[in-house]
Amino acid sequence: MNEAGVLLKLRSVSKSYGATAILHNVDLDVRDGEFITILGPSGSGKTTILRLIGGFTKPSGGEILLDGRDIAAMPINQRPFNTVFQDYALFPHLTVEGNVGYGLAVRGTPRAETAKRVADALELVQLGPLGKRYPAQLSGGQRQRVALARAIICRPRLILLDEPLAALDVELRRHMQTFLKSIQTEIRTTFLFVTHDQEEAIAMADRICVMNAGRIQQIGSPHEVYYRPSCEFVAKFFGENNLISGTLGPANGLTRAIETRAGRVLCSVEGQPDMAAAPVGSRAFAVCRPEAVAIGDEAAGENRFVVSIDQVAFAGASTMATASSVDDPTLSLKARIPSRPDGSTLSPGDAVTFVVPANACRLVPA
Amino acid sequence: MSGRVADAATNPGAHVGPSRLAPWLAMLAAYAVPVFFVLAPLTLFLGYSFFSVDQGDIVFTPTIANYVRFFTDPIFLPIFWRTCLLCLAVAVLCVLFAFPVAYFLTTLRGRRRYTLLVLLLVPLLMSYVIKIYAVRSILGGNGMLNKALLATGLIDQPSMLFVFNLNAVLLTLTVLLIPFAVLPIFLSLERIPKALRHASADLGASGAQTFWRVTVPLSMPGTLSAMSFVFVLAIGDFLTPQMVGGQSGFTFGRIIYSQFGTAFNWPFGAALSVILAAVVIVAIRLGGHAERRHGGAR
Amino acid sequence: MMRLADRLAPALLMLMTLVVFVLLYGPLMVPIVSSFFTVSRGAVDWSQPTLSAYVALMANESVLNALWTTLIVGAGAVICSVALGTGIALYYTSPHAKGRAFLQFIIFLPFLMPPIITGLALLIFFRQVEFERSLVTIIIGHTVFVLALVYRTILTRLQSLSESLVEASYDLGASRWQTFRLVLLPNLSSAMVGAAVLAFALSFDETMITLLVTGTQSTLPVRLWAMMRLGFTPDINALVALVLLFTTILCLVAVRFLMPKSAIEGSDED
Repeated sequence: MNEAGVLLKLRSVSKSYGATAILHNVDLDVRDGEFITILGPSGSGKTTILRLIGGFTKPSGGEILLDGRDIAAMPINQRPFNTVFQDYALFPHLTVEGNVGYGLAVRGTPRAETAKRVADALELVQLGPLGKRYPAQLSGGQRQRVALARAIICRPRLILLDEPLAALDVELRRHMQTFLKSIQTEIRTTFLFVTHDQEEAIAMADRICVMNAGRIQQIGSPHEVYYRPSCEFVAKFFGENNLISGTLGPANGLTRAIETRAGRVLCSVEGQPDMAAAPVGSRAFAVCRPEAVAIGDEAAGENRFVVSIDQVAFAGASTMATASSVDDPTLSLKARIPSRPDGSTLSPGDAVTFVVPANACRLVPA
Repeated sequence: MSGRVADAATNPGAHVGPSRLAPWLAMLAAYAVPVFFVLAPLTLFLGYSFFSVDQGDIVFTPTIANYVRFFTDPIFLPIFWRTCLLCLAVAVLCVLFAFPVAYFLTTLRGRRRYTLLVLLLVPLLMSYVIKIYAVRSILGGNGMLNKALLATGLIDQPSMLFVFNLNAVLLTLTVLLIPFAVLPIFLSLERIPKALRHASADLGASGAQTFWRVTVPLSMPGTLSAMSFVFVLAIGDFLTPQMVGGQSGFTFGRIIYSQFGTAFNWPFGAALSVILAAVVIVAIRLGGHAERRHGGAR
Repeated sequence: MMRLADRLAPALLMLMTLVVFVLLYGPLMVPIVSSFFTVSRGAVDWSQPTLSAYVALMANESVLNALWTTLIVGAGAVICSVALGTGIALYYTSPHAKGRAFLQFIIFLPFLMPPIITGLALLIFFRQVEFERSLVTIIIGHTVFVLALVYRTILTRLQSLSESLVEASYDLGASRWQTFRLVLLPNLSSAMVGAAVLAFALSFDETMITLLVTGTQSTLPVRLWAMMRLGFTPDINALVALVLLFTTILCLVAVRFLMPKSAIEGSDED
């Protein structure tokens, strides 16, 4: 029953406190060596998944399988996982070395070996000279590294990271994202990273598991969840997007048309058997990213919307143009176009055509 | 009076102050009682310790004879050390009882935790004299303890081990002061973030390892301040030794008290009190020092 | 899978807590229970319960006098300490305040120092300034003793109030007195009541300072102290039972006013 490459398997895991359900039948495979990110807004149940795997709470139903064995009843201290806590949870009474060596000390590792491995771990997280300091004497980023070193030193099979970057400022956060990712590549350990920050998830993860209201919405590579959302929630969750509501027309190979009030929109259903097979006439959205929208009659693409520009917002490298469809004034569409150094751009009131190729349009159920 | 103080005090900025007089009046009102009835008596008291007594009259010539007498007379120093040791023992015993209780409280949740805490603290406000009396009635020669021991056949005549001696003082003080130890320990245990215990378990520590490596060191400030608290209360008490100590249970507090009663040597009593105060200050410092040191490392 | 020690620990903790409860409350039960029986030659006669001890107590003039003294002293100490404590707390938080740390230090001295030192210092002081020992000296002694706690309680509440509350009041045109009466006082009142109850309870029980600064009057604990040194009599037990009942009620009232609401209602989150 143990599939190759799968480290940990969650099978219809649920969790509720009294009458309040936090997780509904979650199925998730964590693959060996991957960097998987659980992403969701607060209250989506993402931290609960981490706590269930770490053993800090017990599931109300379902199984958590490690090597095919249910570990629901396994105590925290026997799980081959280590956690980087949200506020680091460094022991204030121990030095950096004491903190990092804690896991080895409680296992009765000989002193010499402990000292060696602590030094190595501190070297790895670039904290070599700070071993004698106390956590209170460290900066946020340094504490973060201590927490990481403490978690990797016991060579766990899985490292759980609970929003570890949430307390850092933007600059440091970017830096730590790269750093974490490089450490993960270096030690080849599976990382399960929980965050509510979409950009962070996209920047770091091999796979993203998007959660909402206690259910998994989609699991896929950052590119997939960004450009090929499988549901309305995911389509709206990652930054600006265009959602055009309509009814499904007949499928035609790898494309399928959807009838909207702004006309027929042709979409790709490649890799989406559900949408390809959905009954004709059911409600759906055509979804396309603003950066996939080209402007002007000469642009190539199957889907054309005649629009009137409402608003033009300069955002540095790109400019976001918001427009209403001439055929359906309730439909607002966005296009992200490169900014020009000479400042020439669209103006509100301009009548233009938004062009989107079918392969940049996806369907999600309404 | 308090209205006058309030007037000046609630004024949000000095620059809007009405007149130059109001702040002075407020200061006078705030300082008058503390200075007149606390600082002045204590200063006078300190001064008294350098006076002497001649045939029932106090001689107001400065001398350090009282202190010399304390350090040279063969009676006082041993009693002083014995009292310190006794109070230290009381402090240790109280912590030994209070720690498990405080720890148990932190394992409870919400309402139950605080109800139990209040039940532990209620005896604090109950009459001290009554509590001494109640404990004595249990320890006495024909008290409950002896009756129980006789009934179970463990002893065949009333034991005098706990009657009118230092053991009785030790036991009574311990029973009386346990609640004082519970509170600081409970507060320091409660302040330990749950995440630290989780982190310890996550890193492979067993329950016992987490307890000894995380919980105990982090609760040290509370434990030490509990000890210093209990020590200070025990060493200042002269009622308990008087009531249950009998002739052999003489303590430092009783000696001081007797200087103002039967011995009638106020300056010497004042000098002994100054020494007591010094010990108390040291104890409070030791308890508070740990608090600051660990608090800073948080 | 749990280790035996990890399983056994909770049971041991509960047992220990039980032992402590027995130690704290057990001894108090003895005089209460025996107050309902007669005592003859130092031994309690368990054959039949009686209220005779209580009847005897009601006729005991000196006890009733002591009770009356205690109540007067308590009321005096409460009024003085709450007024002073509130005033000093307000002064402490005002921008004009000078020597805050020193003032606080003085206030805390009688609380930190053993009562015997406070009591003796006052005793010498009163004699030196030739102030006759009386009810007034007891009230002064009790006031300085409970002041630290009262002051601290009120200061904590005062500091929890937002500064902008006072500023808003001025902004809306209130005078300083109006601000105190209409804004600060209502917000401080429950802390003041709680502090008052606490002060009364402490004063009601204070023995060591009272023994030293009292003149001819004795408060209830001092009277009890004198009675107890003579031995085990039924009316002591009755008095003890009544005093315990009264202080328990006081405690519960104090708890109601001083405990944070969140603690009383409790939270059961994981």
